[in-house]
Amino acid sequence: MLIPCGQYKPARNSSIRFRDLITMINSILSKFKQKNFLIGFIIIIAAIILVAIYKPNVLFEGLQRSALYALIALPMALLLGIVDIVNLAHGEFMMVGAYFAYFMNVQFGMDPIVAVIPALFLFFLFGILVYYITFKHIIGKEPLSQLLLGFGVGLVLAEGITVIATNFPRKLGLDYVSSSATIGGFTFGTFEFVYVAATIIILVGLQLFLKKTDTGQAALAVGQNPRGAKIVGINVQWIYLLIFALSIALIGAIGPLFGTRYTIFPGVGDQYTLKSFILVAVGGMGSLNGVVLAALILGMAETLVLSSLQYGKWADIIYFALIIGFILYRSHQRQVK
Amino acid sequence: MKYWKYLICAVLLIVAVSLPKFIGVYPLQMANIILIYMALALSWDMLLRTGQLSFGIAGFFGLGGYATMLTSTYFGFNPLLSLMAAAITAGLVAALVGYSVLRLRALYFAIVTLALGEIFRVIAQNLEITGGTEGMLLKQTMFKGDAASTYWVMLAIGVLTIIISIIFQKTRIHYASTSIRNDEIVAASSGVNIFKYLVIIFAVTSAIQGLVGGAYVQLYGFVEPTATTFSINFVLMPITMALLGGLYTTWGPVIGAVLLSVIAESLKLRIPYGHLLVYGIIMVVGILWFPGGIMGFIKKMFKISNQ
Repeated sequence: MLIPCGQYKPARNSSIRFRDLITMINSILSKFKQKNFLIGFIIIIAAIILVAIYKPNVLFEGLQRSALYALIALPMALLLGIVDIVNLAHGEFMMVGAYFAYFMNVQFGMDPIVAVIPALFLFFLFGILVYYITFKHIIGKEPLSQLLLGFGVGLVLAEGITVIATNFPRKLGLDYVSSSATIGGFTFGTFEFVYVAATIIILVGLQLFLKKTDTGQAALAVGQNPRGAKIVGINVQWIYLLIFALSIALIGAIGPLFGTRYTIFPGVGDQYTLKSFILVAVGGMGSLNGVVLAALILGMAETLVLSSLQYGKWADIIYFALIIGFILYRSHQRQVK
Repeated sequence: MKYWKYLICAVLLIVAVSLPKFIGVYPLQMANIILIYMALALSWDMLLRTGQLSFGIAGFFGLGGYATMLTSTYFGFNPLLSLMAAAITAGLVAALVGYSVLRLRALYFAIVTLALGEIFRVIAQNLEITGGTEGMLLKQTMFKGDAASTYWVMLAIGVLTIIISIIFQKTRIHYASTSIRNDEIVAASSGVNIFKYLVIIFAVTSAIQGLVGGAYVQLYGFVEPTATTFSINFVLMPITMALLGGLYTTWGPVIGAVLLSVIAESLKLRIPYGHLLVYGIIMVVGILWFPGGIMGFIKKMFKISNQ
């Protein structure tokens, strides 16, 4: 009696194991077929290692640069990717945050890193205000007016700052910004790792918010189908308000961090709007990890081109060509061809 | 009284043509600026009628400007021929690029046009033959800088743009573009060749923008990639003008261009920094509360008076 059982049991177990293995391999293979995710990941790792051997400076520089791009793109990924609101005034809010930190520093001697905390609260309120005045009336209508509205709001912010502070470029003279470290033969700036840390904090925070909290789940539902979300009893207006204000608060708080290292002027936000939008479009709507990955690729590629003396000035064009190629390849296309 | 419209147009045209007899050089220069922005605003609106929002005005404007500059510097084209070259270059590039880019959805199309403008700018900034960051000077501006002749060329471009816009409004292109704007799937299933119309309209409007860019370079006699020729102003101002005047109409952008150019000129003296703030506010207020613009207001008035 026991022997058949004993024979039976391992046989069953092994068959299950075998089936598990097959399903696992199948799932991995299907993942390879569907997303090419792992292949892409391996290629990226290999490319980074190659870069590290070829030009170690580029690795650090590129990591810091891509962290800054990812940092600025993440609030837009939240707003555009999750609840489908296009805010073309994105970079301008960051610019206003940077000016806020600048004037806090000049007037009260407040450190820009400390200014992140009041900026977070102030820009949350500012976001609520902007939402009630402008974006509330336009959500759910044609996307063109959303684009134009964002453009207009951005213009008002940039020109408002110009009226207050003129378009004279400003820079905070902070000592710790130029701190550096030396490992082996080469030296690199250490302060910029603030951007890496901030990116990780915001990414993890947003992922936790979206996955673990009811509000985050509700936001995802609203993004998928606003009408359906309304039917199941989600307060759609409130979710829009919350996500909009959260996005503005984050980008406003990134402003001071940006202002520590870079020269600020009223038009500085412009290009970051474009770059963030591009990262969100390349990384995939609704995927925060994808945005960070896209920032890593583009930041590294840009730094690599910038590091060459001869072709450094063509870095921008590679960025834009990559983007157009990516957007065309990922086929965000019209329904009728 | 059906012919009133034509009579008004004829009188306006005669006044516009004979303007150099009555006013000085500075107002004439103002008129040139108005005509430039009017043509840009109208061409942008013509593409918007199909539901495609383009932020690439500055890109094609600058492309035309550079085409004019390069052809007249290196090949010795005379001014009018170089303007033709500008229009043809911009139109051809737009047709080629549009062939792939116009397949994108509204949002992505808008961003890709913005990126295209940036690409044109970076190319112009980095090539040797385009003068790099410093730009180039034109040896001789159009008609040796004669104000009246220059103005007439500008007027011709403006009138040409208005005529093309009217043609687009009166022929079957109007029905095609309106149906594409309203519902692409319905338009396609009713037999409208969406893609063909989009490429044609995109090429024509870009050619107009290139032509205007060429005229701008012939007027001022220089190109400079960062601050002037590819300036974001050439995106912002036309869009604001079209919004203020009223979208999807021929006369809306014209009215908007005249009003805003005059306002901007007087504001420049009062608020040297940030006079564009007024533009931003007009844009936001216009989109939120007056989507019809001035033309929408006029139409509403006429409807009320008819009833």
